[in-house]
Amino acid sequence: MAWIAENRQRSVPTDGTPALTESLKAHLRETYFPRYPTRRAVLLPALHAVQHEYGWIPPQALDELAAFLEVSSGEVLDTASFYEEYWLKPKGQFLFQVCRSFACEMMSMCEPGRSCGTRELSNHLQKKLGIEVGQTSDDGRYTLVELECLGACGTAPVMLVNDVLYENVGTETIDQILANLPADPHDFHDPTVTWQEKAH
Amino acid sequence: MPIEPVLTKRIPLDPAQRKTYWYDDYIATGGYASLRKAIDTPPDELIKIVTDSGLRGRGGAGFSTGQKWSFIPKEKKGAHYLAVNADESEPGTFKDRYLLDYDPHQLLEGIAIACIATQVDVAYIFIRGEYHRQAKVLERAIHEAYEKGVFGQNGVYGSKYKVECHLHRGAGAYICGEETGLLEALEGKRGWPRNKPPFPAIAGAFARPTVINNVETLCCVPHILERGPAWFKTMGTPSSPGPKLFGMSGHVNKPGVYEDSLGITLDYAINTLAGGMKGGKFKACICGGISMGVLGTNQLDVKLDFDDVRFKGGCLGLGTAGMIVMNEHTDMVLALRNCVRFYSHESCGQCTPCREGSAWMRKILDRIVDGRGRAKDLEMLLELEKTMGIMPGTTICGLADGTAWSTRTFINKFYDEFAARCPDEPTKSVSLKVTRGRMNVVTPMGSNTR
Repeated sequence: MAWIAENRQRSVPTDGTPALTESLKAHLRETYFPRYPTRRAVLLPALHAVQHEYGWIPPQALDELAAFLEVSSGEVLDTASFYEEYWLKPKGQFLFQVCRSFACEMMSMCEPGRSCGTRELSNHLQKKLGIEVGQTSDDGRYTLVELECLGACGTAPVMLVNDVLYENVGTETIDQILANLPADPHDFHDPTVTWQEKAH
Repeated sequence: MPIEPVLTKRIPLDPAQRKTYWYDDYIATGGYASLRKAIDTPPDELIKIVTDSGLRGRGGAGFSTGQKWSFIPKEKKGAHYLAVNADESEPGTFKDRYLLDYDPHQLLEGIAIACIATQVDVAYIFIRGEYHRQAKVLERAIHEAYEKGVFGQNGVYGSKYKVECHLHRGAGAYICGEETGLLEALEGKRGWPRNKPPFPAIAGAFARPTVINNVETLCCVPHILERGPAWFKTMGTPSSPGPKLFGMSGHVNKPGVYEDSLGITLDYAINTLAGGMKGGKFKACICGGISMGVLGTNQLDVKLDFDDVRFKGGCLGLGTAGMIVMNEHTDMVLALRNCVRFYSHESCGQCTPCREGSAWMRKILDRIVDGRGRAKDLEMLLELEKTMGIMPGTTICGLADGTAWSTRTFINKFYDEFAARCPDEPTKSVSLKVTRGRMNVVTPMGSNTR
């Protein structure tokens, strides 16, 4: 099951073939249709699946999903545009998400001048990646965003790189992470996940 | 008075020794014994046991779990659903992450028991989108549970109860932690909370009776069944029995999740559990996720249970017991700006007082942080916060109450600090008293009468 956060980064077809491929459809039909009493409820998992295929959700996939799930394309857009995690425009291969909520931001003030919080992390990343918050680097490799609470306040400050959470991050941790990023995003995995995913 | 670990009995305090307990490890440490017991117990009896234990929901509202279960119609006319709230997005709260990471089967056992008690056919675990590892752990654990006969159409361990369990991932919206917002997201819609009534126990997910419980609540259930309601009541206070996970974060030496009985004091939580203050003297503490407001410098003796924090502490309640401790170097204006920015960002946009109110409050606080504050600004903030929330009755859900209570408690308890940043003479009409909104209103957050 690769739906969780794999970022396959396939390029979106431009020759008129559907973005919602037969294999994606079969996957949704077999795994998710039996789980829910309505078709529309499959929408969230379906949007996740499309996003993992392309790294973002191309507009043509929204229309194709609407036809596939037998809901109107307006309803699909309504849902897709509400949730922050769905990218309706392309993002970089590596998505850096720095938590900016209470515990992470307050960490800067623990011992003034010495502690590291959201602000220090974000500034350091902006300098290192050469982009501002919300931007994607020109080569399409990095995207940097700040987002609200990641739910790991006990190990603040934290950040997510794709689906891997880094805790107690300092500026030197960032340098290490950047130095060790693989060339191919498919080789980037959470080292604590040591098992194969299976669907029931 | 540290208690014997209950929920965290498989999660040692030392992070290096922690590991995930899969099915075999879980069985070897006494797991799923309560579920076998539950199969042989009539559903009504199960609900009575949980009601007798006095277990209150651990997701923030503190509503009696047994009562919630008893609202589900006894006569079954179609599917019943269970929605497990693992959308842990409240800043300061990170307890469910531990339970999911290391002991997923404890939750699954609780789910199976809850499903038997309330005749539920399908349980959906709604997990927030950012919990990638936890989703993978759960996916594997659910797969194991299906293979070993806990879930599936063969019945729970071959009994007459048929329970399905699926994982449903959210996609980054705080509002989906609100129970009806969660149901909307489950149905594939935007997470806009619903008006109540009808309550979810009558018409919830897919317009069918639905139970919604927090992860920690369901994790308590197998233990209650195993050792009885009387044992459960030996911990905590009479109105808030049981063990509770306290998420200690912020300026403390040993941040982390600690299990202790409800009713410990804040002083004990900070100095004994979390290893004392770091970087300076104690100044303030968020008492249970930022929605609940802040405890001031002189409130170290407040007891952490569902009532004392509310009536003595002047906060909205214990919430999820996620404490963010702040030391003397903390800038309270910046802290409040962070809270309000969170709410203005996460407001779903359905109700005008919350959408517009939080956005304007954020703009005012940005101005104060920039050094352009005016005395009038404080007055306006306190006026705005009174207009929003389910307590004044202007919004559908409690998100706006979070904005209101954090603003109210921050400004009232640290008034001098705010006033110093707003240079004009403070006007007389600013109320320094903590007010409670309209009285005698029964709200989904619990009864507001006292």
